[in-house]
Amino acid sequence: MNSFKKLSAGLVAAGVAGALLTGTVVAPAHAANKKIAFVMGAESDPFFQAMKVGAEAAAKANNIDLIWQGDPSEYSPATQIPVVDQVLALKPDGLVLIPTDPTALQASVTKAKAAGIPVINVDTRVGDLTDVLSFITGDNADGGAKAADALAKAIKWKKGGSYQVVVGLTSATATTNVARLNGFSKAIAKKYPGIKIVDKAYSQSQPAKANTNVSNWLTKYPKLSGIFAIDGTNAAGAAAALQAKGLTGKIALVGYDAYKTNVDLIGKGVFTALVAQDPAAEAKLAIETLVKFFATGSKDGIKAEVVIPNVVLSKTTSKADLAKYTYVQK
Amino acid sequence: MTSEQGVKAFAKKLIGNQQFLLLLVWFAMIAFFSAFNSIFFSTAVFGNILLDWAPVVLMAVGQTFVIISGGIDLSVGSTVALSGVVAAFQMQYMMNAGRNQWLAIAVGTLVAALTGVVIGLVNGFLITKAKIVPFIATLVTMGAASGLAIVYSGGAPIGGGPDKAITLSVPWLGPLSSPGIAVIFIVLICGLFLHRARFGRYTFAIGSNEFAARSAGINVNRHYMKIYALSGLLSGLAGMYFYCRLGSGAPTSGYGGELDAIASVVIGGAALSGGIGRITGTVLGALILTTTTSGLIIIGVAPDWKQVVVAILIAAAVLLQGLKSGSRGGSR
Repeated sequence: MNSFKKLSAGLVAAGVAGALLTGTVVAPAHAANKKIAFVMGAESDPFFQAMKVGAEAAAKANNIDLIWQGDPSEYSPATQIPVVDQVLALKPDGLVLIPTDPTALQASVTKAKAAGIPVINVDTRVGDLTDVLSFITGDNADGGAKAADALAKAIKWKKGGSYQVVVGLTSATATTNVARLNGFSKAIAKKYPGIKIVDKAYSQSQPAKANTNVSNWLTKYPKLSGIFAIDGTNAAGAAAALQAKGLTGKIALVGYDAYKTNVDLIGKGVFTALVAQDPAAEAKLAIETLVKFFATGSKDGIKAEVVIPNVVLSKTTSKADLAKYTYVQK
Repeated sequence: MTSEQGVKAFAKKLIGNQQFLLLLVWFAMIAFFSAFNSIFFSTAVFGNILLDWAPVVLMAVGQTFVIISGGIDLSVGSTVALSGVVAAFQMQYMMNAGRNQWLAIAVGTLVAALTGVVIGLVNGFLITKAKIVPFIATLVTMGAASGLAIVYSGGAPIGGGPDKAITLSVPWLGPLSSPGIAVIFIVLICGLFLHRARFGRYTFAIGSNEFAARSAGINVNRHYMKIYALSGLLSGLAGMYFYCRLGSGAPTSGYGGELDAIASVVIGGAALSGGIGRITGTVLGALILTTTTSGLIIIGVAPDWKQVVVAILIAAAVLLQGLKSGSRGGSR
């Protein structure tokens, strides 16, 4: 096990070195160009793919050399920490970090600070933001609350009625999942008495697992009114279950994350509403903030925390807006 | 022999019969879950169980051949992911070109199957020509295939294919959907291949004693190639099954599927040392696995407990095997 860990750490190191090598070969570094390292959560998530598009555009516009790194598929501190260590060894001028765990990645921020490298957190954050220049995020609690509003509207909530809803999650601990569920539960408790969350389950980012959960819920709760799918993969799995059981439009489905496949299903009436974030804008702002800091060397005019609002997409959303907020894919 | 002895001998034989025991375990599970929530005993829930069962059993049947031959195939889950994504792109392309939906589904199925066969042949090549042990060879293709699936798809589920794919997953024959019926046919054919044909006899022979099989004139290397190609083919079809279920090809479909497949085979009574195994055991093993998943959801227990239940079943199955081989050794 130990030697396996060493091996994988070695492979990561080789990968990062390789990326740097090819980076310098393809685009000979201009003497003046600053380097920004961007370490994200999991390459396999379209959310981060959309973020990459925003980061690359902002880097190009500001003559920045971008080092984009992260684990291919696993959203976990165990795989992310070695990547951050290797990236710091490349001595970037700035680091954008999406910590996969608030506690485990704190030491990496301290390490960067000690090396004189400014750090920005995007999407998720470390526990102590003292050494973080700025924290840029989508508002997950607000997204959860907006989802509750959309769901209540879709099931035609009335005072005195009683409604069963279920929530499909990816993990019990991911900060985004927790914040969205909190926002959702609070809004329901406060504004929509009578709606009851009767079940929850985890899909570990797999649409097929989410599909199994929802298929069984549809059998277990014949009077189910609505489903809140907390992220893109849960949304995909729940949408398929509704379609296969012929319940499209009969049970309200509110999803999260504007994957292209999910946005397409709004038009078909499978999704009542879809809460979209703007990952490209988050990444762009992170790069621009660092560029500003490079130029002035001071924290003046840089906000410690920036919240980028969510957008609710539904059947009434214009085609142009649907296209604008769909996560860009390769 | 007195009649009492006869009854005892019969009872002993039944207990020694893994399939019979598995059937008992399965019935006990159904009784247990139904006692908690009567809705469990319904066609709809059985439909949910079979929905999950079909892709697991496809991977597990291929794995049965591999394990009986003394090998292991860790790449089946990743093969599901990659073949699903490749087929999804093919079908998306055909729909954009205005082709017929059914034609797109047929071609997609073919493409998924071919992708699986290619991965299986790479496994076979690594094992027979490069002389890499199956565990490492298939570990290599497992990583490569899942990585390619992510790179190729950009991480997102690939949609935009034929709408009719998802409607195929609607059960129409009791709890069975069309893809489910197709899977049952495939499993039947594979069962005949394993237990009634030369292909199966060779597989058992190689797994029992590779050297003796070689001496008997069996082209062992070619047979290995065929076995791994079959495992790849069935996993590729499982990839297409997931496509029909989700209406899109997701690069995370089949994640961890190799563990479900191996667990089904081992619970079904096959020995990882090779030479022993039955398709009926594998079929029941997979059924017990997916019944656990649905059951836990219906009675409202976190499905994570499934892993614990499966672990206990594997331990019991292996223990039983040890007891059986032990008693056989003692009688000699």
